[in-house]
Amino acid sequence: MRTTTGTKADAVSSILFIGPALLIYGLFTLFPALDTLRLSATDATGLNSQANFVGLANFGALAADATVGRVLLQTAQWLVLHVVLAGGAGLAFAVAIASLARTHVFFRTAFFLPHVVSLAVVGVIWAKIYDPYFGLLNGALDAFGLGMLKLGWLSDPALVIFSVNVASSWQGFGIYMLLFVAGLQNIDNSLYEAAEIDGAGVWQRFRHVTIPGLREVMTFVVSLALINGLKGFATIWVMTQGGPFYRSELLTTYIVKLAFQFQEQGRAAALCVVLCALAMAITVAFNRWRESLR
Amino acid sequence: MSARRVREWPLAAGLSVPLFFVLAPFVWLLLSSLKSEMEIAVAAPFSMPDRLLFENYLDAWNIGGFGELVVNSLVNVALVVGLTLAVCAPAGYAFAKMQVPGGEAIFYVVLLGLTVPIQAIVIPLYKVLSALGLLNTLAGISLAQVGNGIPFGIFMMRSFFRGIPDELIEAAKIDGAGHATILLRILLPVAKPAILALVVISALSTWNDFFLPLVVLISPESQTLPLGLVRFASTYSTEHRLVFSGTVVSFLPVVVLYMLTQRRFTEGLTQGALKG
Repeated sequence: MRTTTGTKADAVSSILFIGPALLIYGLFTLFPALDTLRLSATDATGLNSQANFVGLANFGALAADATVGRVLLQTAQWLVLHVVLAGGAGLAFAVAIASLARTHVFFRTAFFLPHVVSLAVVGVIWAKIYDPYFGLLNGALDAFGLGMLKLGWLSDPALVIFSVNVASSWQGFGIYMLLFVAGLQNIDNSLYEAAEIDGAGVWQRFRHVTIPGLREVMTFVVSLALINGLKGFATIWVMTQGGPFYRSELLTTYIVKLAFQFQEQGRAAALCVVLCALAMAITVAFNRWRESLR
Repeated sequence: MSARRVREWPLAAGLSVPLFFVLAPFVWLLLSSLKSEMEIAVAAPFSMPDRLLFENYLDAWNIGGFGELVVNSLVNVALVVGLTLAVCAPAGYAFAKMQVPGGEAIFYVVLLGLTVPIQAIVIPLYKVLSALGLLNTLAGISLAQVGNGIPFGIFMMRSFFRGIPDELIEAAKIDGAGHATILLRILLPVAKPAILALVVISALSTWNDFFLPLVVLISPESQTLPLGLVRFASTYSTEHRLVFSGTVVSFLPVVVLYMLTQRRFTEGLTQGALKG
């Protein structure tokens, strides 16, 4: 902290400056975070019940719960899918539009459009796209004579996570694309010229100049995509409610069910602690990694 | 760029194919929202409507109460953006340029909030809002959203103010200006990039929020647009023309606003994401 302009009067007025922010942050974020930790060690059930201290029993119960194992596994699948689909699309489109001059802004703007739509609205849209009778997807497959490829996109337990993830990634890739575009602008043009003089083709220039030049942005995008994936909730909630048979249940949706439908607040809080720990672990790990690249 | 060798028009033509797939849902929704129920059932997905049934929009708007939802969403966004700026600008200034007792420790506690997903704190948050009598109110949800956005807002404003030379502030002090005057008259006018990023990010995330409204806003009169649309779509799930036109109403305003302001919007989002 810099103290060059500090005096005693400063100290007093600084409290006025940070006070309102700290009050709101403390009341609506910090206290709830700490209280979640406390709740996770209790057997709280209803919203107003008397809760007893139970130590780590909730975490033990979670570990023994087969649904929780499934939820964690599916959350991991969900994260990988989001990084690959949304991160991959973001990278591919960024590289393609970066080499455009006159149509650059047009394509950047157009590809970004899905990102301004609320994920809940995206859920409504894609539920209709996947609708077995009225949906765009099966309708288009029919129109192209590919009727045999029609599937129950949201009712097939093996397919549902993938189907919903496509919807989320459709909405999500735009911001990753913008970050890659910004990263590409920072790559020194002379590196490309040098590579060209050395006879490097398009692929070699991509492989040996673009990819190394994007390393830092890439770690950033991957960590952002992992965190966004971890927070994923709205599309699942709107499209499947975690079904069929919990086969699209994620950490976030299961927390809401445990807390507000099953009234299992202690266990839900324990799962909240797991969610929070995962988010922090991802953030810290990627910050370390990024610093090691510098 | 990498591709002074790649020719513009062939690449642009090639890119139009993925672009069509990315934008196809929008086109399909726009076309379908103007069709009759019968046409939606039997006609090809991208066929032009026989007759443009704008009354679908009128019906959806009236039946779904979209007027109220839009107003609620606008009030929500205005409260969150206004309050976020009003508390984060002074706090960011204090952390950057003033001697705050225990400042470094406090700042790290605030930063901790950057990594806490809102879903992870929702149980006590619900109780706090309930205890304050703020459940089911736009004021309550706005305060909770501001609280969740404050770590990012403070971080953003602090990084910006740190880049401003101390001499500027010293000079103003010699002229007798207090911190409030310095912040309002000297720093905020030059802080446009940071403010732009903060406004774009907090406005977009508030307008699009679904999770908190779902938990906090129970009665229809207090609901915001995404939540209202989801409720509407499940109530009228068999009346596709209504769901389609309601959905278009929900995304079109932001899409148009984005297209009109795309340069600033993009700049704000990119800067915000890179700093945050």
